[in-house]
Amino acid sequence: MTTAAPPVEPASPAGRHKKGETAPLSEGARAERRLGLMLCAPAVIVMAAVTLYPVGYAIYLSLERYDLRFPNASKFVGFANYGTVLSSPIWWQAFLVTFIITIASVAVEFVLGMALAFVMHRAIVGRGLVRTFILIPYGIVTVVAAYGWKYAWTPDTGYLANLLPSGNAPLTHHVSGLAVIILAEIWKTTPFMALLLLAGMALVPEELLRAARVDGATAWQRFTKIMLPLMKPAILVALLFRTLDAFRVFDNIYVLTSGANNTRSVSILGYDNLFTALNLGVGSAVSILLFITVAILAFLFIKIFGAAAPGQEVD
Amino acid sequence: MFAAAAAAAVPVLAACGSSGGGSGRTATLNWYMFPDGSGSFATAAANCSKASNGAYTIKINVLPNDADTQRQQMVRRLAAKDSSLDILGLDVTWEAEFSEAGWILPFTGARRTAVENGTLPAAIKAAVWRNQLVAAPLNTNTQLLWYRKDLVPEPPTTWSQMVADATRLAKEGKPHYIEVQGAEYEGYTVLFNTLVASAGGSILNASSTSAQLGEPAVKAIQAIQQLAQSPAADPSWSNQHEDDNRLAFESGNAAFELNYPFIYPSALQNNPSLAKKIGWTQYPSLVAGQPSHVTIGGNDLAVSAYSKHPNQAFDAITCLRGSANQTTYAIKGGLPPTLTALYTDPALIKGGYPFAGAIYTALQNGVARPQTPAYQSVSLQISYNLSPPTSVSVGKLNTLKSRINDALNSKGLVP
Amino acid sequence: MSTVTVPAPRAGRAARPTGSSTDNSRLLAWTTVNTVIIVVSIVPVLWLLSLSFKTPASIPDSHFIPRHWTLENYRGIFGTSLFTRALLNSIGIALISTFLAVLLASMAAYAVARLRFPGKTVLVGFALLISVFPQISLVNPLFNLWRELGLFDTWPGLIIPYLTFGLPLGIYTLSAFFREIPWDLEKAAQVDGATPYQAFVKVIAPLAAPGMVTTAILVFIQCWNDFVFAISLTSTNRSRTVPAAIAFFSGASQFAQPIGSIAAAAVIITIPIILFVLFFQRRIVAGLTSGAVKG
Repeated sequence: MTTAAPPVEPASPAGRHKKGETAPLSEGARAERRLGLMLCAPAVIVMAAVTLYPVGYAIYLSLERYDLRFPNASKFVGFANYGTVLSSPIWWQAFLVTFIITIASVAVEFVLGMALAFVMHRAIVGRGLVRTFILIPYGIVTVVAAYGWKYAWTPDTGYLANLLPSGNAPLTHHVSGLAVIILAEIWKTTPFMALLLLAGMALVPEELLRAARVDGATAWQRFTKIMLPLMKPAILVALLFRTLDAFRVFDNIYVLTSGANNTRSVSILGYDNLFTALNLGVGSAVSILLFITVAILAFLFIKIFGAAAPGQEVD
Repeated sequence: MFAAAAAAAVPVLAACGSSGGGSGRTATLNWYMFPDGSGSFATAAANCSKASNGAYTIKINVLPNDADTQRQQMVRRLAAKDSSLDILGLDVTWEAEFSEAGWILPFTGARRTAVENGTLPAAIKAAVWRNQLVAAPLNTNTQLLWYRKDLVPEPPTTWSQMVADATRLAKEGKPHYIEVQGAEYEGYTVLFNTLVASAGGSILNASSTSAQLGEPAVKAIQAIQQLAQSPAADPSWSNQHEDDNRLAFESGNAAFELNYPFIYPSALQNNPSLAKKIGWTQYPSLVAGQPSHVTIGGNDLAVSAYSKHPNQAFDAITCLRGSANQTTYAIKGGLPPTLTALYTDPALIKGGYPFAGAIYTALQNGVARPQTPAYQSVSLQISYNLSPPTSVSVGKLNTLKSRINDALNSKGLVP
Repeated sequence: MSTVTVPAPRAGRAARPTGSSTDNSRLLAWTTVNTVIIVVSIVPVLWLLSLSFKTPASIPDSHFIPRHWTLENYRGIFGTSLFTRALLNSIGIALISTFLAVLLASMAAYAVARLRFPGKTVLVGFALLISVFPQISLVNPLFNLWRELGLFDTWPGLIIPYLTFGLPLGIYTLSAFFREIPWDLEKAAQVDGATPYQAFVKVIAPLAAPGMVTTAILVFIQCWNDFVFAISLTSTNRSRTVPAAIAFFSGASQFAQPIGSIAAAAVIITIPIILFVLFFQRRIVAGLTSGAVKG
């Protein structure tokens, strides 16, 4: 967490002025600072209250040999748990699977989400209806939707499996199992993407588009040259949160395949080690590694999007 | 930190635990139990509370439906030394783990003798850890071979015969699947345990310190392969749990099913015409002429080590697993009893257990799951390394052996 | 970034069908597109609906339309306080969490988007890191903490973590949104004598409505669907929400999945979501054309 803090400038010889501030703060700037901090304080307090202790505790556990079943064997082991995880092919297999699911589902969701946002924004008939229906899948509890999919894709009990040639059980193979998981993810979370993109789309000034049309820009040009750049902050948020969420995929896999045929994700691995094996040391190491991976992904996103990221100066 | 949390919580919880009002100190015993749609646990709790003459009142705290979640909820509280748990409903696979962690109290002296008297030896064995009886068997369970009498007039007695019968039915174009658990989960470990035991071996050595496997495990693998390579395997086998097997059997495409007795009342209700054709017999054996040794399931009751009223809790358990209550659980809740005498009781047989005799025989030959505090990890390793059933090979046994040894010492990552 | 001050009316409103053949074909095209989208969205839900109306015997029959209808599953779930009370808890907890999350996130996002103050990047980074920490590692320590504080099995005990995980999304969505808003209006208001607070409430809030509604919908659904916290931080009807209550449904026997009741519960708890979205969706793009901006 501390790594996110900007490097503290050593005090200048003059002692008082920070970089970029050549004069003492004016009254207005001081009021602005106060207001800024006041406005942020409640949110920061709530977030810190819930997470700081548990996160610190998880870091501590990850450095311990700590198995609830063998309480007397607990001892500090340094980074040994991390070594255990990183040297296991099971971790890397889960990592790869998680990566595939993330890339595939986020990519498809982005394209579909953009199309849906466009429909929600522009539809000339039944707009309220289509907006509501689009959002329904996101409202279904994931585990329940997953049971629905499981029944649907199981031969003899499901309508979807019955469309396939007889004897095909897609959930029992690596590739088709993953495909069903990705499909379930896409169906469920495309609305999330679409809604965020719609919010961004709503901010694109209409007359800018009209002016471009008058200037002879094609629909594609108007989309890529005007809408996309203006939607960049919204796109960032949509992609960022969806990617981070997809990387922690759990429910669909848990119900659909229980992780069989190498379809387990990193979160499933964390769950098995923490909750099933009660090995809190190794399980916490998995959690922290997942956390670090996701944090790196988030950092990359923000770098790529640069000034469009929240908190960056616009100009 | 945990100790501090628990200490802070104790006064509050204890206050609602013991309503020490004057003369008769009635202890409130919190019974953490899995949900039971029939209400037979609630009836038993009320009856026992009444019969205690004010010694205790049993309050049921219902746990979620899924065994993993039940275990998580209790473990979370026990790890925080929560004194609001008194009686715990445990799956038979958790005893060693809970005992080793110091969460449950053993039954000693006369209490132990009282529990052992008249109880199925196999059920007792599953509740013993480090020579101590750490829980009292409440109900048991085991699998039988269920078959379609219309398709198979003479049920097979060996695994090979069963596969051969199913293969013949497939050739005749009749329903032929053999329904058995094969998803990557604990139920698949149970299958492997049953097959290894039926081949005369065991997964762990006698002292539960390392993996045994050996030649019987090879035979078990070969049995799985035999089924996997035959047309008798359900295409969904590698994704099937007990309930998936039941649904598949009820849909009419199967000739055999290896499953717990819950499938019979279910078939009676959902598909009465099919239910009439269901026959039952012993689980097929792996060694001709020898009986099969089927894994024993079920639930036990234990007393929490952090309970404020351990004595009353032990007494309450004696009452809750009494003969009358076990009959109720069996008939209303479908949970086979652990008291030997009930298996010849006409009330039970007529009350929905026409197969009581077959179950009793299976229980006599039954085998416990690997007994170790690390059972969950061992099970994850077995189901992972032997999945999917369609691609198991004898060559995987060496890896499995070393993974099981790691799991026993809580070393390494479990899948 | 943009210098636009007065946004134009929405495109949809601008399109007035005049009865010409191109308009008719556009209408047809849109209807087709809408229909396809609705079908894809709804078919898996209809499958759940179908499962919820099937008798236990016909659940494995693979027919999309039930052959044997029953209301038993609905009767079953409404027959116990387990589900009805959980529904009440779900609605209350999700609404309060959503309200608070949008409020606190708006405040923070306004600061992030508009004000210069130290620690802004730290805040934004912190919020993001919070939201990515695996929840399963949080529940055990949180369980202990909550018991110590008396928050275990209470509404606030769930509302607080929901806020925590709703806030990062809210702060990001809203600050992305706030940056694109024509701020000249705010300056104008301040010139007219409004304080920064008044400028926020009177001018910016209505402008920000689409972003706030979007955030509200997303946060509401997030709270509504949470299982991990709900199952770990509650133990009775007092605060158990529907996704957790579903885990307590029991089948006909120990191994049987109560799929019919689960499907029925899923159908029922989708209804408030639909109502919530129906109610708020108009605001998604309505903000920019609302009164505050005109003139």
